[in-house]
Amino acid sequence: MSALNAPPAAAPLRTGDGAVPRSRARGWRGILTHWPQYLAIAPFYVLFLVFGLFPIVFSIVLSFTDWDGMGDIHFAGLSQYVYLVQDSRFWNAVANTFIIWILSTVPMLFLALVIAFLLHQNIRFRGIYRVAFFLPNVTSMVAMAIVFGSVFSDTFGIVNSALTALHLDSVPWLSSSWGIKVTIAVMVIWRFTGYNAIIYLAGLQSIPTDLYDAAKTDGASTWQIFTRVTIPLLRPIILFTVITSTVGGLSLFTEPQVLLGDAGGNGEAGMTIVLYQYNQAFTQFDFGYGSAIAWALFVLASVFAIINWRLLSERSETPRRPRTRRTR
Amino acid sequence: MTSPTRRALLRAAGVTGLLTAPLAACGTSPTISEDPDELVLWYWDRSASPELLTKAARSIPGTASHVRADAIGTTFDTKLRTSLAGGAYIPDITYINSNNALYFRNENQFLDMNELGAKEYASDYYPWKWDLGTTPENRFCFFPLDIGPTGFFYRQDVFEQAGLPTSPDEVSEAVRTWKDWIDLGAELRKATGSALVTTAQSIYEQFLNASAERYLDEQDAPLYTKDGSAVREAWDTAMAAISAKVTAGIPEARKTDQNAGWSSGKIAGSVNAAWWSQVLQESAPDSEGLWRIADQPVRPGNSGGSFAAIPHTCKDPEGAFAFIRWINTPAHQAEAYNDVQLFPSAPDSYASDTMKYGGRFFGDQDPLEFFSRAAEHVPTSFISTWESVISGYFTLEITNVETAGKDPDRAWADATAAAEKALRKRGVLS
Repeated sequence: MSALNAPPAAAPLRTGDGAVPRSRARGWRGILTHWPQYLAIAPFYVLFLVFGLFPIVFSIVLSFTDWDGMGDIHFAGLSQYVYLVQDSRFWNAVANTFIIWILSTVPMLFLALVIAFLLHQNIRFRGIYRVAFFLPNVTSMVAMAIVFGSVFSDTFGIVNSALTALHLDSVPWLSSSWGIKVTIAVMVIWRFTGYNAIIYLAGLQSIPTDLYDAAKTDGASTWQIFTRVTIPLLRPIILFTVITSTVGGLSLFTEPQVLLGDAGGNGEAGMTIVLYQYNQAFTQFDFGYGSAIAWALFVLASVFAIINWRLLSERSETPRRPRTRRTR
Repeated sequence: MTSPTRRALLRAAGVTGLLTAPLAACGTSPTISEDPDELVLWYWDRSASPELLTKAARSIPGTASHVRADAIGTTFDTKLRTSLAGGAYIPDITYINSNNALYFRNENQFLDMNELGAKEYASDYYPWKWDLGTTPENRFCFFPLDIGPTGFFYRQDVFEQAGLPTSPDEVSEAVRTWKDWIDLGAELRKATGSALVTTAQSIYEQFLNASAERYLDEQDAPLYTKDGSAVREAWDTAMAAISAKVTAGIPEARKTDQNAGWSSGKIAGSVNAAWWSQVLQESAPDSEGLWRIADQPVRPGNSGGSFAAIPHTCKDPEGAFAFIRWINTPAHQAEAYNDVQLFPSAPDSYASDTMKYGGRFFGDQDPLEFFSRAAEHVPTSFISTWESVISGYFTLEITNVETAGKDPDRAWADATAAAEKALRKRGVLS
């Protein structure tokens, strides 16, 4: 979620338009002729090479070795991956990650959609609401974890105080397996609902108002307009938010780390894949295994990317609905 | 399409040179400062007296060098290990926390201070602390800074309410064994509903901190599997505490809850180190005057306390060692206590009149007097470099028993199996 904040309205891929005929003067001579341009774009590529590509490639190498981050690197073959497949702590982390992802994404996107729909109406102080809903996204995570730690505290928290005041049983939010997962999911929802609502709002603004007018003329209720007009036209944007939420959900780290510490809480109920990777590499100094976990996550993310891509391409085969204008 | 002009080529070459020059410069020296008289020290906030560092920044007494102290923030170990692994930007002197055993695997990265004359100062420091700074190869790489002798902190007012002994001497007398201590906790629970300590894990860890034997011996052979091992005794003590319901079950990660417990008296005690009094004063300021410290069962232990080390790339080992010794003379350790509450590892510090505890947090009891006495009785122990790889499995399972009601026998079997698996993975067991 935090990783991607590109504008949602994906520009349609242009293929074949303005393709330059292949010039024979490609290669080094072309580079030398256009050196100022190449120089201008070089900083990004140099930085990417050093801080992006090299670590990525090196982590592949590391995942086949045994290294404590300081001494000699020993080649270990596939042993890290063999250990990974049999490691119940890893599979626990995978399960936790997916449970928290579902617990957070489904209510978050639904809430975001409803909030965006309400913000799109002609209501007073719209600007203030929009800012207010986006604020959690730019709040410090550490401060937020302390607040959530207090709010959901088992014995002294405001949530449990409220529950007992209503003569309900208090819930061990931060010590039971499900309590921990729900609390982390609530943190994610709190932080990213506003962000997704703003994206939906941008999508809503691109829907031509004459469609709503036509629906109203036909006597549609607000609910009908929402489900029959708004949602279908928002589909590409919903898909975008689902994809970003998937990326964010699979790489969930900060929330459990600041809330529960490096060990992932009682019974490792809040241990996510990335937290486990961090734990192995940077607290146990087992960089080979940490790298193997990272690549296992890459495989999992790839599977999800393929599923998403399938969903997307299926959508484009269906007859095109009224064109949505580019937002912003 | 014109071919590149000579000027363009020259310009490109010049730009490339400009871009790569600073990169090449990095590779020339493994240390941070180019100044031969400037020794760079890596430390963290509150691990050294700022006043003494200011003095050392002018010059290290008896040498021509001076110290540039760089306060390194979080993830200290990762930063130090990264620079050592990369062979660049290595400090000339570094502080290392109580997890110094982690560096035993790479002890050749640090100089043996015995070769710099450390031996003659050994008698100034607690022998058990000196031993913790000695590697399994018998090299002395880690010089004592501060220590963390432990005791039993308790809320006197809550004990009084419960009709338990209240003065430190009476409490010490009542809890000579861990069994007595747990029985006292059970009475406390019955009378006031308060827990004795936060978690069973804390009992387990402090039990081990007070034993001569830990998880592995100096040959990295597991000791915890043996009958009557210290780990097993610590485990049984934790289990007894859980079944007597004397723990609150609130782990370290939930600081807010712990602090609220200590402030309100719902958690009426803690077995903890000397430096913890500062933590407690800051997190439960309203309970000033209500706390006292008694002897913990059996004998005191040590929890925490850091070291100073000289990386092998140090440009002036004599100067670096002179600084380390200078900042750790008994007189200077006493100053550091007054400044940033570092508990001295040199017993003579306590004899100096300058070292004072001024607060009223423990009523009329002087924590300095208590902990300097406790420090005399800490047993000598060996911490294996692989301990941090396996200790988490034991504490995890203790938490499972405490909060999820897991069967203790199964928990022990799971913990030892997981530890064995981890040791096998790291090549310690074959």
